[in-house]
Order: sequence, then C-alpha cells, then structure tokens
Amino acid sequence: MNGVGWERVRMARLGGEAAVVGTRRREVVDLRQVSSQTVRLGRVQPQHPSHRTIYCNDSDANFIARFKSNSISTTKYNVLTFLPKGLFEQFRRVANLYFLMISILSTTPISPVSPVTNVVPLSLVLLVSLIKEAFEDWKRLENDNSINNTAVDVLQGQNWENMPWRKLQVGDIVRVKQDGFFPADLLFLASTNPDGVCYIETANLDGETNLKIRKALEKTWDYLAPEIADKFKGEIQCEQPNNSLYTFTGNLIIESQTLPLSPNQILLRVMMNSMSVPSKRSTLERKLDKLILTLFGGLFMMCLIGAIGSGVFINRKYYFLGLFDDVEGQFNPNNRFVVTILTMFTLITLYSTIIPISLYVSIEMIKFIQCAQFIDKDLHMYHAESNTPALARTSNLNEELGQVEYIFSDKTGTLTRNLMEFFKCSIGGEAYGTGITEIEKGQAERSGKKLSDDAKSDTAVHEKGFNFDDARLMHGAWRNEHDPEICKEFFRCLALCHTVLPEGDESPERITYQAASPDEAALVTAAKNFGFFFYRRTPTTVMVRESHVEMMGIKQDVSYEILNVLEFNSTRKRQSIVCRYPNGRLVLYCKGADTVIYERLSNASNDIRKVTREHLEQFGSAGLRTLCLAYRELTNDLYEKWNEKFIQAKSSLRDREKKLDEVAEIIEKDLILIGCTAIEDKLQDGVPVCIETLARAGIKIWVLTGDKMETAINIAYACNLINNDMKQFIISSETDAIQEAEEKVTSLVKKGAHRITLSIGDGANDVSMMQAAHVGVGISGLEGMQAVMASDFAIAQFRFLTDLLLVHGRWSYIRLCKVITYFFYKNLTFTLTQFWFTFQTGFSGQRFYDDWFQSLYNVIFTALPVIIVGLFDKDVSASLSKKYPELYREGIRNMFFKWRVVAVWAFFAVYQSLIFYYFTTTASQNGHNSSGMIFGLWDVSTMAFSCAVVTVNLRLLMENVYFTIYVLLSTFYFYLTLLLVPVVALLSDFFYLGIQRWFFPYNYQIVQEIHRGEYEGVGSREFLEIGNNLTPDEARSYAILQLPREKSRHTGFAFDSPGYESFFASQQGVFAPIMAWDVARRASVRSKRTSHR
Amino acid sequence: MNSSGGSAAGPSSGSGDGSAPPRRNSKRPKYSKFTQQELPACKPILTPKWVISVFTLVGVIFVPIGIAALMASNNVVEIVDRYDTECIPASMTGDKVAYIQNDTINKICTRNLTVPKDMDQPIYVYYQLDNFYQNHRRYVKSRSDAQLRDADQANKTSGCDPEKTTKDGSPIVPCGLIAWSLFNDTYNFTLGNKNLSVNKNGISWASDRDHKFGKDVYPKNFQNGVLRGGASLDPNKPLNEQEDLIVWMRTAALPTFRKLYGKIHQDLKANDIIMVTLENNYNTYSFNGKKKLVLSTSSWLGGKNDFLGIAYLTIGGLCFFLATAFTVVYLVKPRYWVGY
Repeated sequence: MNGVGWERVRMARLGGEAAVVGTRRREVVDLRQVSSQTVRLGRVQPQHPSHRTIYCNDSDANFIARFKSNSISTTKYNVLTFLPKGLFEQFRRVANLYFLMISILSTTPISPVSPVTNVVPLSLVLLVSLIKEAFEDWKRLENDNSINNTAVDVLQGQNWENMPWRKLQVGDIVRVKQDGFFPADLLFLASTNPDGVCYIETANLDGETNLKIRKALEKTWDYLAPEIADKFKGEIQCEQPNNSLYTFTGNLIIESQTLPLSPNQILLRVMMNSMSVPSKRSTLERKLDKLILTLFGGLFMMCLIGAIGSGVFINRKYYFLGLFDDVEGQFNPNNRFVVTILTMFTLITLYSTIIPISLYVSIEMIKFIQCAQFIDKDLHMYHAESNTPALARTSNLNEELGQVEYIFSDKTGTLTRNLMEFFKCSIGGEAYGTGITEIEKGQAERSGKKLSDDAKSDTAVHEKGFNFDDARLMHGAWRNEHDPEICKEFFRCLALCHTVLPEGDESPERITYQAASPDEAALVTAAKNFGFFFYRRTPTTVMVRESHVEMMGIKQDVSYEILNVLEFNSTRKRQSIVCRYPNGRLVLYCKGADTVIYERLSNASNDIRKVTREHLEQFGSAGLRTLCLAYRELTNDLYEKWNEKFIQAKSSLRDREKKLDEVAEIIEKDLILIGCTAIEDKLQDGVPVCIETLARAGIKIWVLTGDKMETAINIAYACNLINNDMKQFIISSETDAIQEAEEKVTSLVKKGAHRITLSIGDGANDVSMMQAAHVGVGISGLEGMQAVMASDFAIAQFRFLTDLLLVHGRWSYIRLCKVITYFFYKNLTFTLTQFWFTFQTGFSGQRFYDDWFQSLYNVIFTALPVIIVGLFDKDVSASLSKKYPELYREGIRNMFFKWRVVAVWAFFAVYQSLIFYYFTTTASQNGHNSSGMIFGLWDVSTMAFSCAVVTVNLRLLMENVYFTIYVLLSTFYFYLTLLLVPVVALLSDFFYLGIQRWFFPYNYQIVQEIHRGEYEGVGSREFLEIGNNLTPDEARSYAILQLPREKSRHTGFAFDSPGYESFFASQQGVFAPIMAWDVARRASVRSKRTSHR
Repeated sequence: MNSSGGSAAGPSSGSGDGSAPPRRNSKRPKYSKFTQQELPACKPILTPKWVISVFTLVGVIFVPIGIAALMASNNVVEIVDRYDTECIPASMTGDKVAYIQNDTINKICTRNLTVPKDMDQPIYVYYQLDNFYQNHRRYVKSRSDAQLRDADQANKTSGCDPEKTTKDGSPIVPCGLIAWSLFNDTYNFTLGNKNLSVNKNGISWASDRDHKFGKDVYPKNFQNGVLRGGASLDPNKPLNEQEDLIVWMRTAALPTFRKLYGKIHQDLKANDIIMVTLENNYNTYSFNGKKKLVLSTSSWLGGKNDFLGIAYLTIGGLCFFLATAFTVVYLVKPRYWVGY
C-alpha cells in the first residue's frame, strides 16, 4: 500500500455455500457518497442542506442532478495553482519569508549589497523545494490514477462491462467479486448467498479486522443475473455524502413502495474518511528552531552595535564622503538617530548570511534521500517471506530514530507472530501436549539446562493453528484414556462453542476457518484434528463430522441445533452456546477466562479444579494463552424458562447488552469444568536478540499487553526483556482500557520525562499509541493497514528495529547534527568576518565580499560538501553500530547537538573569522606584488573569501573525507596566505579535536579505533543477523574503555528499577505526578485477563 | 489486531486482488553500494601518533617558510617619512585646515631622507594615508564603471552622488566621490644635485588599464565645482593613461593604506641623502589623517612585511611545542589506546 491516505474497503469472503468462485458476486447500486473532487482528508465536509435523490440504473435521469464523477484526487496542486500555491507554502516558512523580505530590502538604496546576493540563493532554494513538491505531487497523481483506473464490473444494458472506477456514474449497478475492493459507497442489492448476506472487512475504515455482516433488503435479492438486474429501477433518497461510518438514513422507493435503508445495506468506501498522517516534527528540528532564533538574536545584536557605531561615526570632517547639506538621511550627520535606524536595516541586509537559508532545504533533501534511498532500500530490513521492504512514510523523523529512549511495544502481532497454535491442553485433570515452547527453552537456557530438540514423533501434527503432539490423544487414542467421556465433552465444546465460519471444500484438508480471532480458529482446528470436524454452519445448526464411534474410521455427521449464542465480550470474558443434541440432550458449553469460569463452577468438581488450576499456571508460565472449558446439562424446563427471559432481553430496545449479560448470568452457573486449552502465540524471529541489543543501547522497552500477568512476564523473559536480577513492573490492563492506557502512558513519558518515545504496533488498537509517541512504527506485511497508515515508519519484523534505530537512526542523527552545526558554523564564520570589517569602514555597512561570492557562498561553495556529509558520513560501519549498541546512547543523551556543542562551534567560528579578517588584512597591509602594486579592497576580500571557503571545507574534511576542487589564483603571496590562514584557523580545532579524542573520547571514536584499518565492504552483510559477538579481546578492551568514564547509568531494561524510578522521579512535581502511577497501579491491580480475544 | 489468517491459505479465488505470483513482483530492493551505504570512506582518526605527526609536520613546513619570508622582508629597505605635521608653517599649526584650504599659500615643502642601506632599483614610491575611509560604503559606490569604460556612456552617473553633474546638468567624467577626492600631493626627488626621475608608467594594474578605463574616455567637467576635492586631470589624456587616477580608484580595504606613486629606476647607496620637494596639497587635516611618503625596494614576496614571516614562525614554533607537549603527555599519562 502506498503512502497516500486513501483507503479501500476490503471485501471479505462470502459466507455462502460452495459456489463456483467466478460467480460469487454481489450486485450493488452505486450510491456515490463519495464526493469526488479533491477530498479533504480527515475533515468533516460541510453538509449540504438537503437529501439527494438517485435514480437507480437510469443515467439519463441522474444526468440532471449532475453528480460528480467517481475519480478521486489527493493531489495538492494542479497545473494552474502549482506556482501560486506552492510559493505560498514556501513562504510560510520563516526563513524563506525572512529572505524574501531581505531581497525586497536589498533592492532599495539602503542595501549595501545588490539584490542578486539574496535573490539568487532564495531562488535556488525555492526552485529545489518546488521541484520536490512537484515530484511528490506527481507521485500522488500517479497513485490517484492507478486507483481511478482500477476496473470494476458495471451493468450496461444486459451485460457486465469492465470499467475503470473513475467512469462509474451515480446510480450504476456494479458487481463486486469476492476479495474485491469497493469502488464507491454502495447500496447492497443481492448476493450469490441465498440469504442475501455478505461479509465485509472494514479494516481500512475503522481498523477492525473481524468480518461484518451486511444484509440486502429481501425485495432486491433476486436482481442477481444481469438480465434481471437490468430491470431494476428504483429511486433512492438519501443523505448527502459525508464521512460518518455508522449512520445512514435513506429510503429505497421501488415499485411505489418505500423501503427504509439502514447502515446494514450500505457498503462503504468512504473516501472522506481517509486519514492523513498527522505531521510530526522531530525534536532536533524543534531545537534547530531555537538555534535559528538565537541566530536572529545574534543578528540583532550585531546590527545594533554596527548601527550605533554608524551614528557615532558619521561626521562632516570626512569631507571626501561628500556629506554636504543635502545628503540623504542615512548619512546626514545632523540627524544621527535616522542614521542609526537606517543603518540598522542596511546591516540586517548585510548580515543576512548568518541565517543559513539553504539549511532547511538541505536538510530536507538529505532526509528525503536518507528515506528513499537508504531506509526504503535497505536489504537488512527487507523481509523475504512477506516480500516487504521497510518503508519510511515520512521523511521528517529520521534523526528522531537516533535518539529514542523509550520503546512502547504492542505484544500480539508485534513481538509475537499472532499465529495462534493449539499447543497443549488439560482435560479432566490430565495435561496433554509434549511440545516445548520457545519460552521454556529460554528459561531452560537461563538455568543452564540444555534442551535437545527431540525428533518429532509420528503422531505429531503441525498445520496452521495446530501444533500439538501427544500420542494419548491423537488419532483417536483418547478413547483409551481413563475418562473418554470428558474428552468428548472437551472436543465437542471446541467444535461447537465458537462463532467461526467454515469456508471452502467440506473436507478436513481443504477447509478454511474464518474467525474473528485466530485463537478461535485454532481451537476449531484442534477439534478437527481430534476427530470432531466442524464443516458447516447454518443459522440454526452446526454440522460436525464425528469419528468417536468405537470402530476406527467410521464417521458420522451430527447436526447440533444451536439454540442460543451468548457472545463474547470483554466484560463477560466468556462465550457460551446452548445446543441440542440430535438425541435431545440439552447442553450449555462455555469457554472463557479462568477467573470467570471458576467463579461459576458447581461445587462438585473440586478435584479437577485444583489440578486444572495447576495446569493453567504451568501453561501460563510457559507463555501460553489459556482458556477454560466447561459445560452444564440443562433440563428442558429450566431451559424453556430461561429462554423466555433471553428472548425478552434480546428484543428489548433499551440496554439490550446489559440485559443480555444479566440473562446470561442466570444460566451460566453450576458449570462443570472440562479442562483448559493452551495456545501458543509464537515470538517473531529474532525478537529476543533484538530486545537485548536495544536494551544494551540504553533503550527502555515497555511492552503493553492485555495478557495474564504470568504470560506477560514470561513473554518478557523469553524476549530477554527482563532477567533474574531485575525488579519487575508490568503494566497490564483490560482490552478496552489498554488502548487508552497505551496512549496515556506514551504521552506521559513523552511529556513528563522529555524523552524521545517510539511506539511499535501492528493493529488499529495501536494507532493512538503510535500517534502519541514521537515516532510511530508499524508492522507491515500483514493484512490490516491501519497501523501502517498511521505510522511514520513501517517495517516487516520487530527485529528490524535494530537496523532502523541503531544504524539508520543513529547515522541520521549524527549526520543531521553535523550538518546543522556545520551550517551554523560556516555561516557564522562568514558573517562575523563581515562584521569585523564593519568596524573599519566607519560602520557604513560596506560589504566585504563581492556580491556573487556572498550569494554563492551558501548555495555553491559550501553546499555540496555538507550534503555529501549528510548522506555519506559514517563514523562506524553498520555492522559495528549493531555490534556495539552502546554507541546509541550518545544519541539518547543528545551528545552531538547540545548547547555545549553549539557553543564550541560558535567559539571556533569567532576565532576563525578573526583569523580570516585580521590575518588577510594585516598581511596585505603593506604588502604588494613584485611590481610594487598594492592590493585593493576586492583583492583582500577575495583572499579572505578563498581562505574562508578553503578553511570551512577543510574543517569538514576533519570530520570526513571528500574531494572538492578549487581553482586558485595569482601570486606567491596569495598562496602563502592561503596556506597560513587555514592552518592557523584550523590549528585550534585540530588541537581541540586531538585533546577531545585523547582525553574525552566519544564511544564511536573508541570503536573506530578498535576497528581501525579494517576494511568494510560486501562482507559486512554477514552481520545481517546482528552479531553481538565480540572476540574476547575486543570485549575486554571495550569493557576496560567503558569503565572509568561510564557514570553508572542504568542499563535501560524496560523493567529495570533505576529506569523506572528515574522516570517517575522526574515526574514528581513536574507534570501530573500521580497520574502515571495511577494508570500503572490501577491497571496492575485489575483482574488479569485471559488470552481470549 | 488480528491478521486474519484466511488469506494465506485460501484457495485462489481468481479475482483481481489475489495473491501475487511469487518472486515476480518482488519488492526486494536492489543491491547497490550506495543504497546499502557501503561506499568506502576514509576516516581520519586523530590518534596521538597522528596528532603529534601532524603538528610536527606543520612545524617542519612552517618554520622554513617563516624564515624565508622574514628574510625576504628583512632584505627590503623601506624609508617612511611622515610629513603632514612637518610641512606646515609654524604660524598655521593652530588652524591646519585653513592652511590647506587656502590656495594662495605656497604648499612647497622640502624633506631630506637618509638611505639606511643600499637600495636596489626599482625603488617604489608610495604615499600612505591614515584614517581615510576609502572603504566607506558611500565612498565605494560613488563611481560609474560604465562611464569610465565607455565614452558613449558619459551620462551614466547614477551611483555618483553627490558628484554627478555640474550645476548646469552636464555629466562629470569621471564622476563620483572617489575621483573627486583624487590625491594631489606631488613628490620630486634629487640626489645630490641630480634629479631622480620618477617613472609613473605601469604603476596601476594592467587589468584596470585595459578593461576598466577606456582609452577614448577623456575627463570632462572634472573639478569644476565650488569645492575641489583633490587633483585635477589633464582633459587631453584618455583615462586609461591617467594612472594616478587608476591607482586611486582601486579603493583600499582599510582606512590606513598605501598607494603606488611611481618608480625610481636607480640604485641608491647607504647614507645617500635624498631631497624630496613635495607639494603638500591634499587635505588630511580635516579628519586628522596622517600622510607619509614611503620609499621601498621589493623582494620575491613583495614589500616589507614581517607579519607573514612572524606568523609562520610563531605557528611553526607553536606546533613544535604542541608536538613536544603531546609527546610528553603521551609518555607520562597515556590513555589506553585500543589497538596500539
């Protein structure tokens, strides 16, 4: 999916019978709620006052209404508006506006420089920005075109014709096939499903992945075949297009009957609901703004000093200045105040170079290339299985990735694969399942034991959703267990008590189960493998092919009448059905969280309870998701009585949910415990190593999960999140609260602790968390796009975080810091030289440098090298970045863009500008060439300029290596100065760098030293899977180096107490000190949720 | 939250949005050294060895250069004579400005200069002004390059305020404050009773003569106003031959500056006494500026300028010192340098 915020409704599979695939389709009238022209993303459009009337299948009648076409446009500009609107956007930036004003100022006589000085750089900057805008808009246009040209079947006469979406007219009848996307908001007429229903997925609208049922009006069920559909004529009166997902009012007038339409008949595309990603600005950039403000302050001070000087200086005694009585205001000694004011403006124009005009555009270009060329194309972050490369959805936040201190991670689907597999179970007090979870392996490793991967036994079955092995149960062996009856109850409960839809061939091999949650599918799959094959569901029955009869191989299709379904929700945390066996037996099957089931057990089954409780704890500590199963025999009388209440509750109009819950309570009691199931949610590849690496990098990882405390802790153990020495703190919370809690915690850390936070998640429930954090990372390559759409970066696997943060983030951060401080330095140096000159020109504001030199200094002479640094600078290679995660801590502490760093650069800027100015002027004071001729102003300034350019570029060379060629000029004298000045200017820097590296080295410098002389090349790809393996020597030397300087910082594990304490300590008395606690404590004392979702 | 697993296992439905054929549409990024950021880079690491060697190297290079430059500067013989205070009648010292502005007073003044060392020809004659802001913005821009270059553009006097035109509106050539304030002291040198001729040809930059000042541009209406700023020009000589003007109009960078007056093509012996007969016309008294006469020989490096030599020597010496200091520190208190 591409980066633009349009969304499509994903058509889900039909729940219909086995029909030929090609004929599965639905016909629909196009309502066209989509108002097509440039849809404002994410905002409520002003509503038109009235409703609209649509004539179905009658384009002539609709023609009068002049409905808009179905093409969408997400572009920002068109050919005509591009220039004015694009320029307007550009001038909303303060720096550009400032330079526009300076450019205007420079056309007045007050200006010491010709307009070219400011116009040229400004034009270049604008040109580059506009080209970038045009390029991005072009991509949006291409994207729109591909959407608009998607084909859909439209009824034309009596045939379906393939048409692009954009040609669709309001009132057309279209056919949408299974798994297709809706081309517009549609009214559902008919389906190949005999019941006139269809199942749709709305993940792209609201992020919910469960299937939703839509049912057509009975009146329209028959308009299925094109010949009949063509006869469909009707009139729809409905509301104007809007972005509401859950409301719809309208009427279908057919054969002079008025039928009310509800959201039940509406299939939404809702272009209007497309979200635009909220734009985030990086912390570094915000700090940059402060730096720019400081520069403005500096500029003002310099101008003030110069202006006052000019007011004092001006005097008629300098007769050569021709200050006669009619002299203009700026030089009139009679009014020194006016002189001061006007000179102020002169100097503002003169010193405008202090504001690095090309900085923002350079940064943008650098970041853009970093994203498009480096992050998106990194082979280390390409996931072959899902064919998903990494995707940077915004280029604003690259460097933020290098400073992340807190990671908030969703568990399911992010740390784990969200592939639920039936792994173990406990039936009637007996535990089954011989598998060893990864978590157990991890635990065993920690305690020093080595678990051998024993060969799979013959009975082991591994399919999607089922990874179970126990000879006592498989292949019908359960019949020989001591209590086969309870086994039967167990399997039947699995096969009956669910809301799964079977699909495909009704054979065990080819059937697929559609379930709201993969846990349910896994349980039904388990039942299938145990010989209770659920293969068909009708509105009132569930068909199960059972092979429990005494003789092997004989199967029997049993139809169970499902009388009531008591649905799962997060308060009930259980699900029940009441079913009638063919022999009339009435049973209630219930499955749910251990706590809720145990509360409702009859007193009879005490012994099983205790054993099962132990098993639950065992499974939980192995990181498995558990569910308890129970049943209750019902008598007819009891049931009938209850059913009346149930029907009453179901048909009540007010508080229906609440009443249903109350009614369910009546019957869900005196249950008999059958056992429990344990489902494994496998960890993704490389998660433990990744987390360990990130922890070593000083990143604190918080996993926010709705799991049982034990499961969560064990997942954490397995992930290396925590180890035995650490205090544990896990926030757990209810599902419905978790989303809120996640967001709250995220923004609390963000605001309270002033730390950079990153949220990673894969689903719609993580969206708020991702948007609250500084950086949102979505797991891509899965079906739901909601998380990716809301994310700033999308990666396919959790483990790619290592590359994203430690390599790309770190480099981007360091590069950006270098670029910014360097820009700051070079412009300050240049401008200060100018400033010193002002003192010797009678504060007249005479420019020191040639106009062209000054205008091209930023955009030509010093631009390319810094961009090269921004793209290619590498302190240590990618593999070393991962090998020494500790390097990352320098980013967390913002070591490279502190005010101290800026101050050092500023110091050198002052020093060097003094050298440039005084050395070149003093050296040329009495100097002349060998034919006696003296240098004039422009000769000296050219010399100073050359020195400045050479020095400033050499300075960058000290940071990195690149090649630039400058054509040099005339005399010995020039060369001698050119040699002397940069050397003197840089001597201090060199001295500083030497001292700094010698006595106060950065970590990366140590790593550089360790690996000095090593050649980095193709071989570095060996490190694809992060190798944290230092040779013993390296480890020792590294450790030694770390020792004396490391100020006992906590290691940054998520549940590490110093980290947690410092975090909350920093909360104390700052921002909402109690709230963080509250969220955490309230969440942790709340009853733990079992794994059922 | 749930990645509904159905899609992976579901039979191909034949609809357009089905599973892509494997590998065909692979989104695997292409490998290149650029995108994988594996371009080779050379990283200068300032290890002690490097720091010490670089300092030593700089010292080794700079000290000889400094010595050479200093020697060159020392070989240059320079005579500097400030005359603005001397060439004023004792009666007028109270009001120097009145003296200099009174055209009726004879401004001739005689100075005797002793040659300290042998001076080989060519000997350059400079005048040095002080506190004269040739780099003032108002001054620098008060000229018209178009007018100077091209006889047809005599009317282009836009930047020349306030010396644009005469009262009747005809353009001044050359216009502007710079030309108007042209230096007008003159020097005559005699050695014994022999006149030392001053060659005033080739004292300006050839590029200025050839490109900036037209050979068919003649001075017009110059210094005709009420206020005379400085020297007059011979209206019959084209501008590109008016070398004093060309030199003057190459404005100086600093308020203290020298300008070439002429060349003496004759060797001078030590203790020769040169008599300078000068006309003290130019007004520096208004703004308390000094006037100096400078006679100087030349070396390969140019004129007398100790600064470069001293700077080189200082820096070279400093580098040696730092190299030594670093070495001492390195030996006394070494940091654990990895890999050494």
